[in-house]
Amino acid sequence: MSSALSTDQYREQIWAELAKVARPDSRFHWDFSSFICDFIGSEKCSDRVLELDALKNRGNRQVFITPDNCLEDLRYKLIQRGIPFVMTTYGIVRGFYRLDPSTIPASDHRYAATLDGFDRYGVSMPLVELQKGEKFALLVTGGSAVSNNGVRFGKGHGYFDFEWAVLSELGLTDSSSVVADVVHDCQFVNEVMPAEKHDVVVDWVVTPTQVMHIDQSSRQSGRVFWELVPGTEFEQLSIVAELRAIQNLGPL
Amino acid sequence: MATRETSARQTEIDLASDAPLYEQVRDRLSQMVLARELSDSTPLPTEPNLMELFGVSRGTLRRAIEELVRDGLLSAEQGRGTFVVQEERVRRVVWQRLSEVARPDSRFDLDLSQYVPDFAGANLAHKRVMKRAEWKNADVVFCAPDNSIELLRLAALESGKKILVPTYGLRRGFIFLDGAKIQKTDHALAATLDGMERFGKRLGPADLRQAGTIDLVVTGATAVTTDGRHIGGGQRYLALEWMMMKQLGVLSPIALVFAVVHDCQVVDEMVEAEPDCLLDLICTNTDEIDVWQPRDSAPTKLRRIK
Repeated sequence: MSSALSTDQYREQIWAELAKVARPDSRFHWDFSSFICDFIGSEKCSDRVLELDALKNRGNRQVFITPDNCLEDLRYKLIQRGIPFVMTTYGIVRGFYRLDPSTIPASDHRYAATLDGFDRYGVSMPLVELQKGEKFALLVTGGSAVSNNGVRFGKGHGYFDFEWAVLSELGLTDSSSVVADVVHDCQFVNEVMPAEKHDVVVDWVVTPTQVMHIDQSSRQSGRVFWELVPGTEFEQLSIVAELRAIQNLGPL
Repeated sequence: MATRETSARQTEIDLASDAPLYEQVRDRLSQMVLARELSDSTPLPTEPNLMELFGVSRGTLRRAIEELVRDGLLSAEQGRGTFVVQEERVRRVVWQRLSEVARPDSRFDLDLSQYVPDFAGANLAHKRVMKRAEWKNADVVFCAPDNSIELLRLAALESGKKILVPTYGLRRGFIFLDGAKIQKTDHALAATLDGMERFGKRLGPADLRQAGTIDLVVTGATAVTTDGRHIGGGQRYLALEWMMMKQLGVLSPIALVFAVVHDCQVVDEMVEAEPDCLLDLICTNTDEIDVWQPRDSAPTKLRRIK
């Protein structure tokens, strides 16, 4: 791409390409504005994520995964390997859940990796519970689009930014926490994009054909910018009230 | 106008409130409809009467009513007046009751206007279906894509039945699944909306005959009436699917329709609605209601289920 397009133009271009490789959602069909889609080749992405040092050398540290469809196969493979993970429900509406593979019979591994099946095996984690756990070694998200300096943009990126911010406020991330973004090649934009203060820039971009490392050693620790919350989809989330209670902030 | 509005006698309308007056009137009217303080069968009281009741101006009242019409709870009929939409009233009342027992959807959470929820005690209703001879003898079962019958779809697959399931909103046609041909370890996934398309064959309306003859129809519902009406989420998918199956001749002439609902979804009133897919049996968490009624196409003795 010779000249930078606007984010709207990128989105249009990307959605047109994505439609050729995307898998429809069971509820939202092909409406990319409502969900982060799975795509042909996502299995290759999960194999690459499994090879990341952040996962292999995580020790006691935790793994976080977003409820994006392109990460279903990764969730399945984590369950098969007995690796527990933390996930949010769609739209963070019901907050954070933890899935412990030891509670799932082998026949239900694939089932538990879907959003429908996750509802039967995931255990709700109120923030006060979550806070007692280890810090996160690896956080994996999907997304609409990502630039070559690790800035995610387009529909949906705000959810992960917010999850990162909340986990950081709880003291569950630090400078060794690694963020990986799983996207199709057509969602990678070879441009430098400016990051806003609440954007989480990612350390790894993982596509079906390549793994790119982006140096984010200067990434600031995440925080919730409360002044940005009113009027957004996050305002009414139960975790907002929970976090504010933990921080003695009173109602928003 | 200001003086008239300040003469509000009704305590429900709070002039000191921050909420706009028309919103308060709208909410109060809506409450009255749900509580059946307003009749379904006769038009709403006249504008002057309602203006006096709420102590508001004509403009405020009209705006409130317009919103409820747009919302589907009222319908304005030229020359006849404004009426309560009975089906929508029932839906709203049941949604309120359901909030106690409904299980969230993986996408829509508890937005019941978007899906038919699974509920606490659904397994008990499923057992009632499964002990019926019609279920045991059925080879091909049409199953609605409702969350409340996910585990019944699973039971069907486990017992080697074939099921025909519409995709959510009929967006990608129907999915035909053969329990005998799907590995046991995949049954749970194949019974979900997320999983079924991986294991089944997609059938468009024109291919429906490939499913064979449908012996039984099982559905969830937003509400059912004791006279055997199925009230869905508002878009009448079941009626549409029923019509397609009927026109293509894939429904067995003795196919019965079973509904699985929570007790709180059973409404004991006659609802005037288009006769789409009439129910024969309602199975709830505590009860089994025989609502069999003769239909023109089938021999009476075959249709009787008790």
